[in-house]
Amino acid sequence: MLARLAENLFWAGRYVERAEDTARMADVTYHTLLESPTREITESWEQLLDVLYLRAEYGDTPIDVDGVMRFLVLDASNPGSITASVSRARENARSVRELISSELWEAINDLHLALGRRDLQEDLLDQPHELFAFVRRGSMTIYGVASETMPRDEGWRFMALGRLLERAEMTCRLIDVRYAQLEALAGPSRRLGGARGEVPRGADRADFHHWIAVLKSASAFEAYRRRYRSSMDPADVVEFLLLEPDLPRSVLYCLTGAMHQLEVLRQGEPSRATRRLGRATSSLQYRDVAELFEVGLHELLDSVQNRVADVAEAVADEFFRHHPDGELRAIATS
Amino acid sequence: MSALFDDYLTEDLFDEVFHDDGSVRPHYVELVDRLRGIAPDDLERRERIRDGIFRTAGITFTVYGDDAGVERTFPMDLVPRIVPAGEWATIERGVAQRVTALNRFLEDLYAGEQAAVRDGVVPRWLVQTAEGFRRQAFGIPVPHAARCLVSGVDLVRDRQGTYVVLEDNLRNPSGISYVLENRAAMTRVLPRAFAEQRVRPVDHYGPMLLRALREVAPPSAGEHPVAVVLTPGVYNSAYFEHAFLARQMGIELVEGRDLVVDEHVVHMRTTQGLKRVDVIYRRVDDDFLDPVVFRPDSALGVPGLLSAARAGNVTIANAIGNGVADDKAFYVFVPDLIRFYLGEEPILPNVATYVLWDDQQRAEVLDRLGELVVKPVAESGGHGMLIGPHASEAEVAAMHDRIVANPRGYIAQELVQLSRHPTLIDGEMEGRHVDLRPFAISGESVEVVPGGLTRVALRKGSLVVNSSQGGGSKDTWVLDAAPGHDATGDDATADDATPDDALRADVIAGGTATEDPVGDLAPSGAASGGRA
Repeated sequence: MLARLAENLFWAGRYVERAEDTARMADVTYHTLLESPTREITESWEQLLDVLYLRAEYGDTPIDVDGVMRFLVLDASNPGSITASVSRARENARSVRELISSELWEAINDLHLALGRRDLQEDLLDQPHELFAFVRRGSMTIYGVASETMPRDEGWRFMALGRLLERAEMTCRLIDVRYAQLEALAGPSRRLGGARGEVPRGADRADFHHWIAVLKSASAFEAYRRRYRSSMDPADVVEFLLLEPDLPRSVLYCLTGAMHQLEVLRQGEPSRATRRLGRATSSLQYRDVAELFEVGLHELLDSVQNRVADVAEAVADEFFRHHPDGELRAIATS
Repeated sequence: MSALFDDYLTEDLFDEVFHDDGSVRPHYVELVDRLRGIAPDDLERRERIRDGIFRTAGITFTVYGDDAGVERTFPMDLVPRIVPAGEWATIERGVAQRVTALNRFLEDLYAGEQAAVRDGVVPRWLVQTAEGFRRQAFGIPVPHAARCLVSGVDLVRDRQGTYVVLEDNLRNPSGISYVLENRAAMTRVLPRAFAEQRVRPVDHYGPMLLRALREVAPPSAGEHPVAVVLTPGVYNSAYFEHAFLARQMGIELVEGRDLVVDEHVVHMRTTQGLKRVDVIYRRVDDDFLDPVVFRPDSALGVPGLLSAARAGNVTIANAIGNGVADDKAFYVFVPDLIRFYLGEEPILPNVATYVLWDDQQRAEVLDRLGELVVKPVAESGGHGMLIGPHASEAEVAAMHDRIVANPRGYIAQELVQLSRHPTLIDGEMEGRHVDLRPFAISGESVEVVPGGLTRVALRKGSLVVNSSQGGGSKDTWVLDAAPGHDATGDDATADDATPDDALRADVIAGGTATEDPVGDLAPSGAASGGRA
């Protein structure tokens, strides 16, 4: 298929996922902070901006709940805001309308139009959870419709690949933001990601509901309960969200799924993208959670994100950016 | 039997369905009977079915200007237009003849010895000053001289029912998607009407076009040439049609950025790497095709495309520079070109046209300005046009001054009384003016798709079939010449067409809009007696 259209599908997949995951992260941050002192709230929102790499875009505006939430949800100047992501997903889908099912186009268009009809400012003040749930449902509808109406052709695979890579990154960030917040609360003396012995198993009961919130925001709470019963150990939660092979939002699940799509797309031929993805996957796959904490969780999450970004870059090079004569000409004509 | 046609008035105009005495023309008898047999509420129901079909299919065009970006449908009237086999045979021969001559002229002009210019059939200055003339196209030959790979020749019928040519569209004529969609809708809305008549199919257009595209592939292309449709993108008013055609042919719909030229060979960027492209059916105007040669600010084109064409590695269809021959002033010379290149008399006449750079003709025109239609040669879509009988004295006077100041800039034409066709308006049958755009495809030979796009001015008395101004369309049925059927048609019409008076220049109307969206296709030069 045409490289441009494949890229449109890849990005349509990414942007829908980005909107959903941003909603999930804002939701969990907002609700876990409802009962916290103001100073902590400010710090937590700051950390959220950090893990989303949006601190610079946010600018000098004072950081508070309303400001950051507006920025994340409806700020047109924020390329990663929910409305901007949905609108970009729609633009990408619009250019491939010939290739996607009309139901899929309608689902994406509906979400875009529905967000346009809502009074988002009011929603944020009044019932942010309802708004975030709405975005999540809209995104899941889109993937449900895609899954039920699209033939498993190249186009579908690029869209799935984009979604899985985006989700892998965003789940890393979801863990990271919670972790950073906890770490900050705990203070420098109780660094969670310290030496092996300091893995905070069954630690602080006050953190309990924070981790529940993280699991819920990844739609993983029930599954976690069944798996770990009553234990609510941060290390278990992190392990579950990172390494659980059968959890659709776990990082490992996403990377394995992405590898499957890539292998079909490459028709089994090895490539830079598959090699990079393989390395990212194995950097997680064969570790146990204690080891992960040993490296420093934040550093690990960071490196997984970087590796995923490298995979996306390699995918773009291999599938989307063909030039007649290698790199030099690519630069000259781009 | 409903009273659908009881109040129908033909007035003093040529009516497609009824003779002047009110009797039904033989090839419409079955259709009129069938329509009379449909109860009024059933007709309404069928109109709703039709609306649903068009909405669902998303058959729309974009209106530029005030309503920028608004997508509209091009409404199809429930009453089809029928062309009997004999009439069609004349149209078909006439259109093929005209397009063949134009192909020959263009090939000769850009890649031959320019015989028509050399021998003074067409003034050299006219060619050189034509807006559509492109010297960059010199030396790029087109296989089989199929320069007008797709052309649309706009026809209207005068008071006697004679088909006359209003204008040629040789660059990027659009509208064929409506022909196919109208037919598809019609077979669902009035299925039984088809069973009674032998209507020639149109749905082979896609394969026909693809075959022609492959036939014009450069020799270097090998046995399985790769053809693509090049579109300016989703925001173009005719994007729906571009996508439609690519789908009909099963080939890629590409934008300029999907193509890349390397070593004078065109490639498209696919997920599997670069893939060679041999033929480009482009729906991008000349000026935007190649920023190296034409407008450097164009982001729609492909740098180096012309060099690839010149090297014989790709064929661009329609060819570059065709616009020279659908210039309004050039229209005047087409009958002579037919005589010159083919040694034949034109089968379809032009509208009587006057060129205003000729002193004698100009004097006569300025005298009769209030009776004539005047068109600026460089404007499109009917802009800047004067319809004498409908204009105020001040408008006529202003046109007078403009012609005197710039005689090369205008042509004048006799008014044509466009024929009318019964059309369903708010549940009533009323006469509305129509034109006809048959489409010709040039490959190894020139073929005409049976029928074409019939556009209808839905507004009472209006001559403007422009869809943004209340224009619509009709499915157009060409009847098969079947034994036992009146295949020849009842009226002596096109067959009686006489060649133009050579002294009196011929004429044209209509726009030179290059992409020529259907929404812009007013047969602006044709005006009726205004009796309605």
